[in-house]
Amino acid sequence: MKARYGMVIDLDRCTGCGSCMMACAAENNVPSLPQASARTGLTPMLVRRVSNGGEGTARREVFIPIMCMHCEHDTPCVKVCPQQAVEVDKATGIVMQMPQRCLGCRYCMTACPYHARYFNWWDPSWPTGMEKSLNPGVAVRMRGVVEKCNLCHARLHSAQAKAAAAGRREIDSADYVPACVESCPTAAIRFGNLADQNDPAAQEARSPEAFRLLARIGTEPKVYYKSKEAWVRALAESNSGPPSVIERAEAHNG
Amino acid sequence: MKISRRDLLVWSAGAAAGLIVTPVPWKLLDDTSIWSQNWPWIPQPVRGPIEVKQTSCTLCPKGCGMKVKMAAGWPVGVAGLGSHPISRGALCPLGFGVHQLNWHPQRLRFVRHGSQISSWNDAGAAFAKACNEGPVVVIEGYPGRAASSVLETFSQKQNGSYRVVLGSETRALEAYEAWSGVPTSSLAYDLESAKTIVSFGAPLLDGWGTPGQFTRLWAERAAGKTNPQLRLIQLEATLSRTAARAWQWTSIPVGSESGLAAGVARVLLEERLVAAHGPMPSLTLAEAAAQTGLSTEVLRDLARTIASQTPAVAIASDDNPAVAALNVVLGSVGARGGIVRRSKRTQHYISADAELPSARALLVDASVPWDFVPKTNAEVFRFAAWDGGSSKADWLLPSPGFLEETNDIPSTPTSAIETYAVSPALTKAPHEVQSAAQFLCSLDPTFTTAEKIIHSRCEELFRARIGALQAQERTPVAKFDSAQKIDEQLSKGAIWTGGPGIPGFKCVLKEWPSVNPSDSENSSTIWPAPVLPPLATKLYRESSLREASEMRNA
Amino acid sequence: MSRTTLTFGFGLAMALLVGWVAFPRALYTQKQQPLEFRHKTHAEKSGVAECNECHAVREDGAFAGIPSMEKCATCHSERIGESKAEAVLVDNFIKPGHETPWLVYARQPANVWFSHAIHLKRAALACTECHSTYGESDQVRAYEVNRISGYSRDIWGHSISRLRRAPHEGMKMSDCEDCHARRNVEVGCLGCHE
Repeated sequence: MKARYGMVIDLDRCTGCGSCMMACAAENNVPSLPQASARTGLTPMLVRRVSNGGEGTARREVFIPIMCMHCEHDTPCVKVCPQQAVEVDKATGIVMQMPQRCLGCRYCMTACPYHARYFNWWDPSWPTGMEKSLNPGVAVRMRGVVEKCNLCHARLHSAQAKAAAAGRREIDSADYVPACVESCPTAAIRFGNLADQNDPAAQEARSPEAFRLLARIGTEPKVYYKSKEAWVRALAESNSGPPSVIERAEAHNG
Repeated sequence: MKISRRDLLVWSAGAAAGLIVTPVPWKLLDDTSIWSQNWPWIPQPVRGPIEVKQTSCTLCPKGCGMKVKMAAGWPVGVAGLGSHPISRGALCPLGFGVHQLNWHPQRLRFVRHGSQISSWNDAGAAFAKACNEGPVVVIEGYPGRAASSVLETFSQKQNGSYRVVLGSETRALEAYEAWSGVPTSSLAYDLESAKTIVSFGAPLLDGWGTPGQFTRLWAERAAGKTNPQLRLIQLEATLSRTAARAWQWTSIPVGSESGLAAGVARVLLEERLVAAHGPMPSLTLAEAAAQTGLSTEVLRDLARTIASQTPAVAIASDDNPAVAALNVVLGSVGARGGIVRRSKRTQHYISADAELPSARALLVDASVPWDFVPKTNAEVFRFAAWDGGSSKADWLLPSPGFLEETNDIPSTPTSAIETYAVSPALTKAPHEVQSAAQFLCSLDPTFTTAEKIIHSRCEELFRARIGALQAQERTPVAKFDSAQKIDEQLSKGAIWTGGPGIPGFKCVLKEWPSVNPSDSENSSTIWPAPVLPPLATKLYRESSLREASEMRNA
Repeated sequence: MSRTTLTFGFGLAMALLVGWVAFPRALYTQKQQPLEFRHKTHAEKSGVAECNECHAVREDGAFAGIPSMEKCATCHSERIGESKAEAVLVDNFIKPGHETPWLVYARQPANVWFSHAIHLKRAALACTECHSTYGESDQVRAYEVNRISGYSRDIWGHSISRLRRAPHEGMKMSDCEDCHARRNVEVGCLGCHE
C-alpha cells in the first residue's frame, strides 16, 4: 500500500510556543551544545517568527514551523547526494536521510530550498548521566554528518512492529503520530496520508486556504500550510525578496 | 647470502600480490569503516523494554497530564496525556525536556550549609534546634498537596506561620475575595462558557493557566475565524504572541490597564450596555483616554464590542482591582462564563508577598520559585532540587526531582473543574534526597506522612461518591467498590474529576477601587525551577523564537 | 627458478599464510558469557519447548531478545538444580537484582532496525532460518568478537572469506538484502534504518 505521508500546518493556530521544537529535539536525541548558535545549531523542527513588515498597530506576525518538506518530485537533496545517503521511500513518501551513510559534503544543505538540513559540527555530548534520558528508538549521530526531519520514522517502525505483532498488515494511524504533531497544544500541525482521499489531512491540503512554500520551484513538497490571512499566503510565493523574518541580533549569538 | 634491497622489493611485491587475494585488505576496510562509525565516546541510550506510564507533571502547580516512556527504570521521553480534562494532551514547551532535568549539572547533590558541604543529620539537628528556639515560618509554592498538609500541620503544631507564594493568575483573583468572602484559591475562571475574553496583558496563549486548557479552547472556537464564538481581545503595549493571534489587539501603554478598565466600565454604565449595576469609576472618559492614549471614540467602541457578545470576562495579568471591578460591572463575577467558585472550598492562604512575621527560621519548600527572596534575618532552610546560584539560604537541602517521589496533584489554579491525581515515584534519585515534608516526618515520627495522607484522600473520595475517574474511559466513583481500587487507578494515571465551577455567589462592591495594582517583586509560579531543561536553552540559543531575556543557564 | 621468482613466491606464500591463517585468528578474541546456559537442559527438564516461550514478541511489537533476569526468576528465584551455572545466576544476578550481562551474538549497530515481529509473523520465518539450531544446543557458544569493529563474529559469519557459509550464517546488510531479493520484498532504506 503506497502512502504519501505529509502535513498541513494551520498558521492561524500556531502561537509560536516552541513545543514542537522541543518535542522534536527530545525524540531525536538532539544534543544541546553550548558552542552552537543559530547558524551552527541543529533544529530539525524550527519555528520562524515572520512579520508583515508593518510598524505599531499595522504590524502583523505569524509563526511558521519549518522542517523537511519531504519533496516528492525532483527532490533536490536526493539528486545531489554523492553517497545515496537519502532517498524518497517508495512505500511512504518519506524522504529518508541516513546520517550513518553520509560523508558530510553538505551538498544537500546547499541544495535544499527550505534550509531544512543541519550539520553535526560537533560530536554530541550530554552532562554526566543525561544519556540515560535519551530516546532508545533513535540512533545517536556522530559529528560530520547531515541530518533532518524524517517524520519520526522510529515511531513509524514501532507502529509497524505493533501491527505485525497483532497480525495486521496496515498500521493503526493512531500509533504513528510524529512528535511535533503530538505536542502541539492547538493541534495546528495535522499529519496524515495525503494519498488517501478520506484522510482529514489530505482533505485540508486540498482546501483553498492551503498553500506550500516556494511551490513555484516544483519540488512538490508534502508539507502544506494553511491560513485565512491573505498576507500570510502571499509570503509563500513572494517574489519581492525574503519576508521580514525576525532574527535576534547576531551580537547575542557571539 | 646477502639480502639486497631488490630482494626486499620483490618480496614486498609478492606479499602485496598475496595480500590482495587474502581477506586482509577487504576485511580491514569493512571493519575500520564500522569502527569509525561507532566511536566509543558517542553516548548511547539505555536498553530495555519500553513501558509507557501515565502520570502528571509535578514541576509546577498546573499539573499537566503526562505520558512518560520508561526504559530500564529511567524516563526516556514525555508527551501530553490527551484524556486529561484540563490539559487535554498539552504540555508547556519546557515540559518536553523535563526528563532531562534530573541530570542537570546544577542538580543539588549535597546538603550545603553556607558554602560547606554538610549532611542530613547536621541539617536535622540544626532545624530541631531552631524549632525549639522560636517560631518557624513555612513558605510553600504549591498548596493543596498531601505534602502541603504535612507542612501546615507542622506550622500549627509549632505555632509558626504558613505562607503561600501565589502565581500571577491566582493573584489576579485576589480582589474578589475581599468583595465576596470566597477564598482566592477557591475562585476560578469559567472560560468554557465565555464568549468574549478581554485580556489586560495576560499571556493567555503563551503560558497562562494550564497549557492546553485555554489554548485548545481558543484553537477550536476562535483560531482563524473572522466571526468566532469566542472573541479574544488583547490589550497590551506590544504585539505579543497572544496579541498576534487575538481577534482584536489594542495597544495601550504599560501601566494604563486600570485607566482603561475604568474608562470601559464608565461607557458600559453610561450607555446601559450591561444589566448589572456596578459602581461608577471616578475617572472621566477623557481622563481614561489621556491615560491610555486612545480616543474616547475608540474607548466607546471597545466597550460596545465587549458588551455585544456576552458572557464577557476580563482577565488581568496580575492583581488589579480596577480590572476586577470591571468584571463586577460586566456582571461576570459569580456568573457562568466569568468568575466562578470551585465546589470544594479551600482555606484562605496568606500570601508570602505580605510582610513575614519575625521568626527564628524559615522553611522554604522546593516548590517555591528560586527567585523568591524572603526579606528576613532568620535562618533559612531551603529545599530545592536544583541550585539556582547566589541564594540567601543558610541551608540548601537536595529535594527529589522529576518522578523521584510520590506526589499528589490538587486542582490546578484558575481551573473551575475540580481534579485530583497522583504522580507515583517512577525512578530513583541518583543521590540522597528528601522533600521538606519527608524531612519533617523524619524529625517527628508522630506526623502522618504524605503517602498516608494520599491514601486517606482516596478514602475520602470513595466515601463522598462524587465525580468520576478518567482513565481510558470515565468511571463514576460510585461504581468503585473500595478506596483501594481508586488508589490503584490514580497511581496508574487516572484523573479524578469533580464538579464544574459554581456560579451564583454574591459579590458586593460599593465603590470603584482606588487601590493601585500591586507590583509583585516575586514572579509567578509558571516555572519554579531555577534551571531550564538543556533542550529549552538550545531552543532559545539556536532560534529566534524567544527573546534572550527568557534564557536561563543550562 | 630464479632468485626473483623465489623471493616473490616467498613473499606471496607468507602473505597467504598471514592472510588466511594468522589474520582470522588474530582478528577475533574470545569473551566468556557470564554463565554456562544450556538450551537443551531447559527444553528437556522444564518443558520449555518453543523458542518464543522465553524469546517472545511483546504486545507493542518489540522483541524480548535475551530474556530479562525477571523472566529467569520466574523459575530460578531460588536454586532448583545442582549446576554451577545456576548458582552463578541465582547468587550473582537474581538475588542482588542485576541484569545478566549477556554478550549478544546478533547485536547490530544502533542505526539498524530489525523487527522480529514482522519477520516472525508477516514473513513467517522460523527461528532456525537465522539462528540455526542454537536453541537445541548443549552448551553456550563461545562469543568471538572482532577486535576492530567490536561486533560479534556472527555478523560477518565464521568463514573469513564468506565462502562455504551455512545458510544462516552472516547478518551483514548484504545478507539481509540477499534474502529480501530472493523473496522479492522491497523495503527501501527506511525499512531497516533507524
